[in-house]
Order: sequence, then C-alpha cells, then structure tokens
Amino acid sequence: MTLAIQLPQVGLRRYGSLLSAMAWGALAVAAAVVLLSLFASVLAPYDPDYVDLNNVLAGPSGQHLLGTDALGRDLLSRLMHGGRTSLLGPTIVVIGSTVLGLLLGLVAGWSEGWVGKVLGRLFDLLFAFPALLMAMLAIALFGKGLFAPILAMTIAYVPYVARLAQSLVVAERGRPYVQAYRVLGFRTPWVVLGRVLPNLIPTVGAQSTLNFGYVLADLAALSFIGLGVQPPTSDWGAMIEESRGALLGGYILPAFWPALVVVLVVVAVNVIGEELSDRIGGKLS
Amino acid sequence: MSQLLQIENFTLGFPGRPPLLDSVSLHVNDGEAVALVGESGSGKSLTTRAALGLFPGGSQSSGIVSVQGLDTLTASKQRLMELRRRRASMIFQDPRAGINPVRTVGDFLTETLVRLDGLSRAEATERAVTQLDQVGLRHAKELMDQHPHQLSGGMLQRVMIAAALLNSPDLLLCDEPTTALDVTTQAGIVRLLREEQQSRGMGMLFITHDLNLAASLCERVYVLRRGEVVEQGQTQTVFLTPQQDYTRQLVEATPVIEVGGLATPVVAGSPLLKVSGLSKTYQLPRGEIITALDDAGFALPEGGSLGIVGESGSGKSTLARLVVALETATSGELTLRDVRRPRRPLKASERKVLAKDVQIVFQDPYLSLDPRIPVGNAVADVFRLHQKQGRKEAKDSARVLLGRVGIGAERFDARPRALSGGQRQRVALAKALAARPRLLVLDEATSALDVSVQAQVLELVEELRDQLGLTILFVTHDLAVVSRLCSELLVMHEGRIVEQGPTARILEDPGDDYTRNLIASRPRPLWDAEPVTA
Amino acid sequence: MTATDYAQAPTPGVSARKREKRRAVRPAVYIVKKLLALLLTLFVASLAVFFSRFLVPGDPARFLLRGRSPKPEALEEITRQFGLDQPAWEQYLNWLSGILRGDWGRSLTYRQDVSDVLLGRLPTTLQLVALAAVFITVLGLFAGIVASLNKGFGDRFILITLTAAGAVPPFVAAIALVALFSVGLGWFPSFGSGDGGWDRIWHLTLPALALGITYIAMVARVTRSSMNEQLLREHVEVATSRGLARGSVVARHVLRNALGPILTVSGVLVAGLLVSSAIIERTFGLSGIGQLLVQSIDRLDFGVVQAIVMVVVAAFVLVNTVVDLVQPLIDPRIAAGTESR
Repeated sequence: MTLAIQLPQVGLRRYGSLLSAMAWGALAVAAAVVLLSLFASVLAPYDPDYVDLNNVLAGPSGQHLLGTDALGRDLLSRLMHGGRTSLLGPTIVVIGSTVLGLLLGLVAGWSEGWVGKVLGRLFDLLFAFPALLMAMLAIALFGKGLFAPILAMTIAYVPYVARLAQSLVVAERGRPYVQAYRVLGFRTPWVVLGRVLPNLIPTVGAQSTLNFGYVLADLAALSFIGLGVQPPTSDWGAMIEESRGALLGGYILPAFWPALVVVLVVVAVNVIGEELSDRIGGKLS
Repeated sequence: MSQLLQIENFTLGFPGRPPLLDSVSLHVNDGEAVALVGESGSGKSLTTRAALGLFPGGSQSSGIVSVQGLDTLTASKQRLMELRRRRASMIFQDPRAGINPVRTVGDFLTETLVRLDGLSRAEATERAVTQLDQVGLRHAKELMDQHPHQLSGGMLQRVMIAAALLNSPDLLLCDEPTTALDVTTQAGIVRLLREEQQSRGMGMLFITHDLNLAASLCERVYVLRRGEVVEQGQTQTVFLTPQQDYTRQLVEATPVIEVGGLATPVVAGSPLLKVSGLSKTYQLPRGEIITALDDAGFALPEGGSLGIVGESGSGKSTLARLVVALETATSGELTLRDVRRPRRPLKASERKVLAKDVQIVFQDPYLSLDPRIPVGNAVADVFRLHQKQGRKEAKDSARVLLGRVGIGAERFDARPRALSGGQRQRVALAKALAARPRLLVLDEATSALDVSVQAQVLELVEELRDQLGLTILFVTHDLAVVSRLCSELLVMHEGRIVEQGPTARILEDPGDDYTRNLIASRPRPLWDAEPVTA
Repeated sequence: MTATDYAQAPTPGVSARKREKRRAVRPAVYIVKKLLALLLTLFVASLAVFFSRFLVPGDPARFLLRGRSPKPEALEEITRQFGLDQPAWEQYLNWLSGILRGDWGRSLTYRQDVSDVLLGRLPTTLQLVALAAVFITVLGLFAGIVASLNKGFGDRFILITLTAAGAVPPFVAAIALVALFSVGLGWFPSFGSGDGGWDRIWHLTLPALALGITYIAMVARVTRSSMNEQLLREHVEVATSRGLARGSVVARHVLRNALGPILTVSGVLVAGLLVSSAIIERTFGLSGIGQLLVQSIDRLDFGVVQAIVMVVVAAFVLVNTVVDLVQPLIDPRIAAGTESR
C-alpha cells in the first residue's frame, strides 16, 4: 500500500465562532475606517478643500482635531474624504481580480489538455509584470489618474488568484469525492460550480484579502509620486506627498496621519487575511 | 536477565485534557522481543518515543521510563543524547518520510559516525557499506551516492534498519516498520529484524496494529487501548486464550485466511461484466510509457463476487477505475450488461446511464466525502438525480438508506468531519447504493480502517450483497479480506493477471509462483511449526 | 535502478535499463528546457510591451508627441524615427532587432540614445537594490530562523513585528526614516547618492532600508513557515532520535530543506525591488532608473518607459530561471520530476 500524502482539504465555511482578539481589533479598525470614509460628506467637520491661510500647519486642537496642513486645510476632513478614493481603488481591483482569477483558475485547473497549459503559461507571463510596473505602463499609455492603474492592477492581480485557484482545483479534481460525483453521473458544471467552487472560496478569499492591502499600498504610492490621484482630490498617498515640504521643515503631523492610516488599514487587512488562512489551514490538518 | 527497558506507571497528557497514556507499565528484558499492539489512537507510538526521551511539545508526564537505569523523564539533555547515540535506536514507520530526501543515503548513514564518533569520512563510509551489505542490500557502494527517491520503499526501510544498527544498540524500538510496505516486502524486513535481534541479542519493542505480525516476531505482547494496557503475557497465550473482551474482539476481527466458509462460485449464463484484452498505458511527461494494465481478461457473472488482489503498482486500482469509467482503456474490450464501453471519455448522458449499473467506494474515508455537504444531503442528492425524487422524498429515502447502513437519523445533518472513519465509509456506501447499481466496486474500501471497524464494514457489505443481490468487485492488497468476501479470485502482479479462479482453489493450491510467494509472505505465528519463509 | 532488494520490490512497469538512460539525459534536457522557456517568456513579454502602444486609439505620432508641439515637422520626424508608416509587425521587428543590437531608440526628453540614458542611471539603482538585498537576506533570514526556533513569546513577538513591518509601504517607510534619522537625529543624509565608496553606502542606507522593509518581512515569514513545516517532518525526528545535537539537526535537516521556498520568492523580490525603487529614488533624490521611469511617464517619453519596463521584466524572468536551475541542486527530487515545486 502506498500511503497517500494528504493535501490540506479546503472547504469549510465555519471558522469557529471566535476570531482571535487581534483579528477582532483589526476588524474594528477596518470597519471604522470604511464607515468614516463612506460617510465623509456627513461626518467631516470641514470642507476638505477649504484653504485657511491664517491657520497653517496648526497642531491638534478642539477646532482641528488632527491639525491642519500647509494650506490650512483640516487634516481630519481630508483624511476622511481621501479614504473614499484610497479605498475605492483596491476594492475594485480586488473584486475584479478575484472574479476573473477564479474563473480562469477553474478553467485552467479543470481542463486537462492544452487549455490548462496555455492558461498556466499566461499566468506565468503575467507574474513577470509586477503590479506597480503594470500600473505605471498603463499610466504612460492612458494618462494619470485612477482609471489606468486600477485597470492594470486588476489584470496584474489575476494570476495571484488564478494560480491559487488552479492548484486548488487540480488537487480537488483528484480527490475521491469529486471522482465519486463523476461516477454517480452528476454533470460537470454542477460539480464544478456547485460543489468545487464553494470549497475554494475560503482559501481564495483569504488571498484576496491580503491582496487588498498590497493594492492599497501600491495605489497610495502612485498618488505619492504624483502619477495617481491628481490634486486637488484628496487621497492618503497624495496627502503624504503634499506634506513633504512641511516634514523637512520639522512639521511631522501632516505626513504622519495619512501614513498612520495607510499602515493601520494594511495591518488590519493583513491580520484578517492571515487569520482566515491560518484558520482554514488549521481546520484542515 | 536484567530489565533493559522498564516503564512504570507512565502517564502522559496535555494540561486540561484526559491523559493520552494512563499508568502504562511494561518492560523489555535483554535479548527479548516484545510487541505492543493497539489500534490507532491507542498511544503506542507515544510510549515508544518516550523510551528515547522524545515527548510531544507542551505535554506533561509522570512515572518512570527507564532504559538501563536511565530515567528519560528526568535525565539531562546530555545523558539523553548519550542514550540515543549508544544504547537505543528506533526504526520509524515510513522510511520515505524518515530519511531526509535532499541528502544522500550515504550522508544519512555516516552523519552520526562522522559527527558523533569522530570517524573519518572514509572509515565511516566503510562501516556504512558493511552495514548495508549485512541488511541485505546489494551494490551498497553505489547506494551510498543515491538519494532516497531513487530507492524503493523496501530498500529504504533496510537503509533505516542499517542506520539503527550502526551504533550496536542494546534496545531496538520499531514503530510499525512495515506498515507502509507491501506484504512480500514486509516478509523480508520481518525476517531481517528477527535475525538481527536474535544474533545480536538485542532487546526489541515492536509496535504494530497487526496481531499476526506481532505473533510472527515476538514472544511477549502488551495490548494497548486508549492509553491503557488491557492485557499482557506470552503472545501465544494472549492470542489463543485472550482474557479481556477487547483482546478477544481484536483477535476475532483480525482477518485470517479462511477457506471453509466460502460461498460456492455463482455459475451463470451471461456475465454482468466481461473484460478481454484490456490494457492501459500512460505516457509520462518525459515521454516514458508505463503499462499500468496489460491484457487483462475475466468475466464476472450477475450476483458473483470477485476479489482482485495485488500489491502496490500491480494495476488493480487501474482496473477498478477502468470498470467505473474514470479511465479510458488504451486497448481491449469491456462489456457491462451487454453494453460495450466506447474507447473515449464518456458523455454526460452516458455517464448517468452507467451510474445505475456500477458504483465505487474508495479507500480513503477522509477524502471520499465532500467536506462541506452534510451527509444526509449528499445521499439525497443522488436520489434526486437518479430516482427523480423531489427534495422531501429524497431526504426521506436518504434517511432510510443511511439507517440501513448504520448511520442514525441524528447524524443526518452532520458534516463528514464529525464522523469517524468507519462511519464515513458507511456514508460512502450509502451514496453509491442510492444510485441502485448492480455492480459495486470496492477499491481498498476497508484498508484505511482499524481492524475492528474493518470487520464491521465488511459484515455490512456482506449483508447488503445478500439482500440486494449486488455483484461485488473487491480490490484489495489483503488476501484474508478477500477470502472472507469473494468466491472468485484474481491475482495481479506488475500490471498482469497472473492467476484467476475460485478463491478456495487458489488459496489452497496456488498455481503461480507469485501467488505462492504472496500467500507465504503473510506473517505466521512463531509457535507454528514452520519457520517464516518467503 | 542499480541495486535491487532481496525481496523483490522494483517499481513495476519500468525496466531498469530505461531508468538508467533517462537519468543520464536529464540534467542537460532540464537546463535546455528552462532556457527555452526563458526565451519564450521574454519574447512574449516583448510583444506585450511593444504592442501595448497600439491599445491607445488615435494617431500614434500624436500619442508619442503628447505634451509637445504637434508641428508638422515634429510629426514627420517622429513618424520616421519610429517607422510609424510601416506595418505593425515590421515596426516590432525593427524595435526588437534594435534592442538586440543595443539600439534602444532615442529619448524625446533627453535628446539622447535611450541606452545611454539608461546606462548612466543603472549603477545607482543596482547599488541601491544590492544593498537592500543584503539587508533583506541578513535580517529576513535571521528573523525567520529565530522566530521558527523560539516557540512561544519570541515567535509571537517577531511575528507581530513582521506583520507591522510588512504593512509599511516603501514610501511611508521612506518618509518615516527621513523624519527620524535625517530630520530628527541627523545621522543619515536625506538626499543624493554621495561620492562613491563609504559615502555612497552611507547615502544609500536609508533608501535601501525603506526599500527593503516589506521584503524583509516577506523573507522572514517565508523562512519561518518553511522551517516550521520542516520541523514537523519525520526525518527531523529521526535525526533527533539518533542523538544528533540540536544545532546539527537544524542546520543539516531543517534549514537545508527549507531553502527551496525561500529561493522561490527571490524572483518576485528582485522585480519588486526594481519597481519600488521608482518611489524610493524619487523620495531620496537618487538618479537611478526608477526616478527615470517616473520622470519619463511624467514627461510622456514613451520610448524610455518601454525600455525600462522591458529591463525589469527581463530581470524577473532571468532571476526566476536562475532559481529554477539552482533548485535541483537543493532538492534532487525536482530534477527527477517527482516533486514539483
């Protein structure tokens, strides 16, 4: 008898009732940031673009909770409004790349012939273009702004999802339970979409959650170097860029707040993503 | 004789949970071979590892585990290493996992000699080669430069044994050293272990789940159940006149070849399944062609039961997969219920029709059910597909059928994870039967189960066969299991059918050398007159 | 197989002779295959990079001249220079053969050959990336090994630190390091690349750290999980049961076996470093190819952008090929095709 090496088996929807305390904290942070950004127009104390040259680079006070920037604009309001653009990009990219990646991964994993091989090669090729590079190429082609990088990064993140989905599908396809479905005469679309796909979603979801953090950081970086969101629209990356002059003059806060928010959100998302994948991994062994 | 290994009231567990080992006491004398028998989860591996001071991280233990007077529970790191280097060696279950795959066999053997005994590389190599020779490996010099993946499992286990003998231990611990091997390979390893143990006068503690194996090697035996020793004594006494209920069950459940109770082969007009000249070859990515099945031919009458026996790589599973159309034959004919199987992957509609003729149950109870789907729904789905039943009706049918295979209504909504291995195989059986097939293929369906569970599942299969008039194709490596269930037998070796006929005839008077070897390789108790021969 | 067991257990279906032959052929075939794959990937990548321009609707000459005066003579010059009046595939062949001959076209901004502009900037970027790679290797491996060998508090502490460090985007790290070490403490310069030698390293320390911090976390995580996976393997228990000291077991059986996955990330790592250097170089005023890439996008100098994209992609593919070629030396099963990683 050969003892088969047991691959971790995917496919558990219940993660147990309790996440770790850290994951709860991360979830709370993420939720707070999302809500504050979503309702910025209602909740923000000031117009984010209101310039007050009499109140430049002010420290935190009752009037301006987080202080003001070099043009006297309220930092808290700019952060909240900036959250919209900063979060919208990654959301689109993650949804787009997850849907596309899952579909391509399913097809690549299920088809044994040349289709799978060609798709595999395509993923390899896409891996050679780092997301940020693809985004920059797209900006060079279509101009600055959010449209080009979002489109480019959606494509750039497809192979991350697709390759994972493909390997999971290949593993699932060989499992006795899938073979039993075939012998029982169930139709392939029913098996693939109704039975195998749901088993992939937890693992792929964990990967996509992690991707969200990377995309957020990359898009902020693009705005930071002036290729992404254009002024006067507020965006976390752009805010840091605008504050560099002040920073070298010793005023740290205008750069600190947006940097802190970016790091907090990415940490929160990573913690959630890792918790998910740990739980999936742990449950399966 | 002094006590080599002495375990007294040894208790081990994790804080806040019931103990894994509860007051285990056992001893091994100098030059004595002792077996520790138990099913999975009985704690036999933990006990043995404790003798080397290997405890699972975070565990708490009490009692005494002493090797030649050294208590491993309290000994210093230095003394423990000394013990492992000089006095006790261990042979592990799976040599493929136990030998570092990225280093050479020579490196594995010589590393202790070079690093711990201060031998030069040349001296160490010489010692290792001599040792490899002694454990029956030819071309030892060339083996030294090879990597584990280039050797067969049996060869690797000999390498592992050679490594364990290198430091001339007084105590040899064996943790199911033949479980990952084929029967014929196992016979060689067992003979080697017995020889070495006798000639060196080593004490040996041999762990196994296989009572027959224990009887073929050891004079004394301990029976372990859920962390407690339930019975001990001379092997012969314990096996022939067991005192405890558990031991008795275990002895009864252990499959033995019994020719007497076999049903007479069904003689029928038209065969349900007819196979002739069937072959299957695979082309590996590197262009090499492997013949998994070569020119197979047999017929299985309606209501008959055919056992297909062979070792790993014999082609028996390929044959099973061909029958259920999971593979497409390269050449030859396969006719099921007078329908000739086309030599191409089946269309969805053809598959659905075929499903009512033949179903399969796979080996691994942990992978054969969809982890996400409650078992009741899994069975109901099949009723809806094949018996055209509505949602509610299908659920009712599923409940009845699950009850029939011994899964109560309270487990209807349970996911596979919540079930034991035996229960999962019962669900897999129910799923297959829900399609109401005429032919049921069982591909090593009971091999991954503990013997007591295996006995129950086999009984169930027997019952179902008789009640439903099923035709059975039972694929297994275990002759004893076949002898119980199948009236016809087919022996496979390296892709070819070497012998076929009535089970009783083949077992009593095998016509082929390989079959003879297979039968002779089954472990035989020490008290049987004949010595173990291959 | 050169040796057989007493009890017969050869793999069925494969004759001994066939195996022998296969093994002798294998390494050469393996290398050639990998090199062919390298060329194929580079070829397809060059197609993608070149034809990306054709995604933009409208007159290609006007596209290339965006932001500059579309005078008729300029349009004519650009048409001639890029061969825009020729069919697409001919333009591609000219571009490709140019690249292979070292003629990478002319930069509209610098009025120089692209290759000269690139070569002038490349050393700074390579030095930056090399220094970052040193930080990543040393700190990443160290943190990963320590975390994996110290279960409990040490592991937890390092893991939390890594999660935090991994979430700091390079540009935020750059700002933070400048605020702390340049503006605050005044230990390191915040601008320029220095005069070579130690001065160069001194100037590049902060940029390299900022560039490397996410990747330090990444390498440390991979090291930790790869080692943890090996620590659970039975061969490690076997080595321990034979009385080997903890150090030998870790070095010979855990770390050695864990190298594969760690090496695998190096392709992603090098490409990522090259791309991220765009942001870092801009922040620290280093004139490398990253800075050049951003400027060229800003100044709509598409020829230069194309060239830099091609360089980064080639670097990624090349490093990956080298890793693929090294893997069989680390794990012989990969060459035999029994383990695909």
